[in-house]
Amino acid sequence: MADVQERRTDFGPPHYEQFLPPVIKENYGKWKYHEILKPGVMVHVSETGAKIWTVRAASGRLLAIDKIRTFCDLADKYCGGYFRFTSRHNVEFLLDSDEKIDDLIKDLADIGHPVGGLANSITAIVHTQGWVHCHSAATDASGIVKAVMDDLMEYFENMKLPGKLRIALACCLNMCGAVHCSDIAILGIHRKPPVIDHSRLNKLCEIPNVSASCPTAAIRPATVDGNPSVEVIEERCMYCANCFTVCPAMPLNDPENDGVSIWVGGKVSNARCEPMFSKLAIPYIPNNPPRWPEVTAAVRNLVELWAKNARKHERMGEWINRIGWPKFFKMAGIEFTKMHIDDFKHAGLTFKRSAHLTF
Amino acid sequence: MADNLPKTPQLDELEKGGWPSFVKEIKMAAKGSPMAVDLLGQLEQSYTEKIGHWKHGGIVGVMGYGGGVIGRYSDLPDKWPNISHFHTMRINQPSGWYYTSDALRKLCDIWERHGSGLTNMHGSTGDIILLGTRTEELEPTFEELAKIDFDIGGSGSDLRTPSCCCGQSRCEWACYDTMGACYDLTMHYQDELHRPAFPYKFKFKFSGCPNDCVASIARADLSFLGTWRDDIRIDQDAVREYVDRGMDINEEVISRCPGNCMEFDGKELHIENSFCKRCMHCINIMPKALRPGTDTGATILIGSKAPIIEGALLSSVLIPFYKMEPPYDDLKELIEEIWDVWAEEGKNRERVGEFIQRVGMGNFLDAIGLDPVPEMVAHPRENPYVFFEEDEDEDEDEG
Amino acid sequence: MKSVDEVADAMYEMVKDAQAVKKKLKPMDLTKAMIATYGDEVDKKLCKAAIKELINSGRCVYTYFGGSFIEIPHREGAAND
Repeated sequence: MADVQERRTDFGPPHYEQFLPPVIKENYGKWKYHEILKPGVMVHVSETGAKIWTVRAASGRLLAIDKIRTFCDLADKYCGGYFRFTSRHNVEFLLDSDEKIDDLIKDLADIGHPVGGLANSITAIVHTQGWVHCHSAATDASGIVKAVMDDLMEYFENMKLPGKLRIALACCLNMCGAVHCSDIAILGIHRKPPVIDHSRLNKLCEIPNVSASCPTAAIRPATVDGNPSVEVIEERCMYCANCFTVCPAMPLNDPENDGVSIWVGGKVSNARCEPMFSKLAIPYIPNNPPRWPEVTAAVRNLVELWAKNARKHERMGEWINRIGWPKFFKMAGIEFTKMHIDDFKHAGLTFKRSAHLTF
Repeated sequence: MADNLPKTPQLDELEKGGWPSFVKEIKMAAKGSPMAVDLLGQLEQSYTEKIGHWKHGGIVGVMGYGGGVIGRYSDLPDKWPNISHFHTMRINQPSGWYYTSDALRKLCDIWERHGSGLTNMHGSTGDIILLGTRTEELEPTFEELAKIDFDIGGSGSDLRTPSCCCGQSRCEWACYDTMGACYDLTMHYQDELHRPAFPYKFKFKFSGCPNDCVASIARADLSFLGTWRDDIRIDQDAVREYVDRGMDINEEVISRCPGNCMEFDGKELHIENSFCKRCMHCINIMPKALRPGTDTGATILIGSKAPIIEGALLSSVLIPFYKMEPPYDDLKELIEEIWDVWAEEGKNRERVGEFIQRVGMGNFLDAIGLDPVPEMVAHPRENPYVFFEEDEDEDEDEG
Repeated sequence: MKSVDEVADAMYEMVKDAQAVKKKLKPMDLTKAMIATYGDEVDKKLCKAAIKELINSGRCVYTYFGGSFIEIPHREGAAND
């Protein structure tokens, strides 16, 4: 192996400038306005009069290198080799004329990447690794995303919703990604504390690290059947799997009890009202691969309820705040339970502290 | 290799439907990669058993760096030997996720030689994710990546790979150069990015306007939201054009203004800018008619995070307005003050937002040398448990 | 002032002792300990350089177990051959 001192390190990412199309380089910071021309297609107009057309296509986040090469071929054919990805995994082709937009859209359709996701639509679902790559996943990510988006395709490919609707999925409560501020969040949950393999724990894991890994101090050293091991104070466990990360002898993945919960009404944008966290709507839906029909039905129900009842530009959370949560639960046909009432820190701030009720 | 793919009746169901299929992607990679073949097999098993089959590794990486590689091992290595090791490499993306076909083809060629041929474009934090390789391939992959100028990103208790929206490259709303700022700070803090020295992760995210397309306020320890101090620019002709084309400006725009500071008299739109909350709604709805002002910069907020450990937090205002101009010297000084205090006093796995909750924002501001301003709070305290400091009146004669 | 190598050696001993009792140390633990031991003869910058030396020489590696630590290379529990 090369001597570490001679290696090139800390050189950082490539400078973005080399990847910018000429029209962008020339008009950097000079854009004046944009127009959405049709689903998935927009034009930005510069103060200089220059224009750039963007075609946004769906992408599943998980891409094979051969697909990336196909995108490269399309970029060569239509955009001088330049393209980009968005913060929600979509792929965008940037054209300096509008002549070949429809040809590009057709080529994208041929390789299975529909165009859309702009303005009042549902765009791609930000999501995590799931069973494809994560050790603590309580559900798969890509599979639910695929099933939910297959079902909601019409809302990706047109702009008929009252406002924007952002869906995100995290496969456990560690939440890689901003799932907790989404109009609809799908969150994988474990529901049982880890099952400890006392006979192997001391061989596979370091007991002080296992104790220290627990965010709620629920794990303490213990001798079980003569083996040095740990015990879990079950009331304190919120199933984060951090102990399992440190110690494979404490699995908490559980086919019968793992599943997903559904949260609504969050947003990150400052538009109109301040950013908000998503709130619990459905505490638990069991995993039902490969297509999670109960989850897709629940999401569709929420989307359609909001689409039918919200005012123009009103996000899910704004609509619910206007009508009140009791009406939301009634209209959505979701049972309100003890689980919906917060019992963590500052829970009191989430109680209804007025007589502002609708009947 | 495509001939001996494992049977995957469950996953095959996910090849149907209109949305791009990740199963098709894995099968595409499986034509050239035994790792992708076994991934398919193990994933089908997960779908059948409703359980994942991965173990977390905490020690693999490239020499000299402490972040950017996530160790992963199959827990069924005898059954799926080609994914016995299946480590992830996080590669620092270029600002704004722009590429040329030439650069990405080179990246794909490297990954074809050294890994599974599967990627995420992109991971949640923003990196290019190279999904799945063996321990002994990590160093050679990095060596080849270095030749095409792609460095490794962050993981663990370090500065995570900063990310930004496309900003001024293609958005008229960007109030500062997000891509430039992201690149500058990424380059300036290479050591912090590659050598974890913090209590836990630390994220910078740069959004050009309060629409916050990179969800900075929800997940960055330091959130940079573009904003402006002067007046919204109005093109009255364009306003009338929207109205003439049928927009109900009172219903769609004026009644939704959180500052209640707009009026349309049938001819002209008036905005009382001193009451404008910079929410972006009117600009979003009438992009041809309205633009942010020209005295632009960013509101800098601190402390957001997902729930683990002490509950989710949104970022809160630290600097109401900062000009965001290179070389960002006083910003870097502030960042280093924050890191100094938090690195010294923070507990293992305590994000800076949680640290501030524990020690108190007032004490934190004292420690980093920043004066309190009313923009930092939604409202002043409601409880009377004020801790008066003993030397409060010593500076009296200065006043 | 102490030299980078001296500090790196002292840090290495600390890591070794900690590992013997299955304790993990973070870079800041090492830095604080060096400042406590050597006072004005070291500072944070020197400690940072010493940690870099420790890692670049291969004597120690960064590890991640719910937070980043510095350890002497070893085979981890989760590893497969």
